[in-house]
Amino acid sequence: MNTQDLIDTLGRDVRPVPRHAVERKIALALILGIIGSTVLIVATLGIRRDLGAAMGEADFWIKWLYTASLAIVAAGLTFRLARPEPARFARWWLAVPVVVLALIGIAELAAAPPSHWLAMWLGRTASKCPFLVLGLSIPILGALLWSMRRLAPTRLAAAGAAAGLTAGAFAATVYCLHCPESSAVFVLTWYSLGIAFATGVGALLGPRFLRW
Amino acid sequence: MRADEDQLREWMIGGLDGNAADHTRLLAAIVPILTAFFRRRMNEGADVEDMVQDTLIAVHTRRETYDRDRAFTPWLFSIARYKMIDNFRRNRRTVPIEGLEEILVSEGFEDAVSARVDIESLLSQIPEKQARLIRATRLGGSSIADVSAAESLGISDVKVSVHRGIKALAAKVGKTR
Repeated sequence: MNTQDLIDTLGRDVRPVPRHAVERKIALALILGIIGSTVLIVATLGIRRDLGAAMGEADFWIKWLYTASLAIVAAGLTFRLARPEPARFARWWLAVPVVVLALIGIAELAAAPPSHWLAMWLGRTASKCPFLVLGLSIPILGALLWSMRRLAPTRLAAAGAAAGLTAGAFAATVYCLHCPESSAVFVLTWYSLGIAFATGVGALLGPRFLRW
Repeated sequence: MRADEDQLREWMIGGLDGNAADHTRLLAAIVPILTAFFRRRMNEGADVEDMVQDTLIAVHTRRETYDRDRAFTPWLFSIARYKMIDNFRRNRRTVPIEGLEEILVSEGFEDAVSARVDIESLLSQIPEKQARLIRATRLGGSSIADVSAAESLGISDVKVSVHRGIKALAAKVGKTR
């Protein structure tokens, strides 16, 4: 095809594009993914029976704020990496929730006798927690990658990793509905491990699924 | 004549707002820019026209990823570079090592473009005559003699204007630091 003909053809399809179209698309995918992962948790794991009572405790909100703040910073990173020429992004913001939770964890350990430390760290669900978070992240990661492949990421592994991190952190936020654990060191270790798994999966899938 | 950053950006934003004429003008205006971009970076045998068309389609279908608040040319060159690297990757077996070196060299290209954008904004702050003569001699690469003939100004006038302009620019850069 002649280049001029191509230009004329493309020029016939000029729909207006709203501002922040990238953010809108990714946010829509995120909402769909979160709904998917919530349906998944209700259908398989179930919501913890004492959720109402747990929501009156600080533990629940520390856990929830950790995963939710990580998710929001990761989403900001994903918005940027979905564009061909990413704006600068202060990645160290990702460290803020981790450092805050680590300080809370240290304070909790200091207040408890050393004989309780191992039990606080492992809880009752340490061996399955990371895998459940990873499993719950699948609907969100799928939706994110599907929306990003129609945008224009140019650093595919990084964009995939950002999507994985976002999916993992939102999945962990949803997982708070089921998870009975309350210690900060538990969350810091096993939730973060699950989120890291999701990030790794995203980084591996990025170069394959995000090409355009 | 090549359209500059401000003009391209205006057309791009017009296109995003739904103005088809602006969008068509933009696509036509970036063809020579992209042709030069790929010709400089790809092998003799490469199908430059194919690459240009591929990039035009990408610019069109991915136009929603352009952020109206940011410069246009870096966005365009990021897409062109991605398409070129993707092309190299696809034809991996036939790509000689030189091709890879050229990609590495081209990494500095975007910085050069951003620098160019900065220079344009600085030039707009000094007297028009000085800015015009600096553009012609220092950016356009014409000789002092050619410019003085074209502008029907004395050689020393051109020299002095360029010198004063550069000094004024240096002062502006010093102030913004």
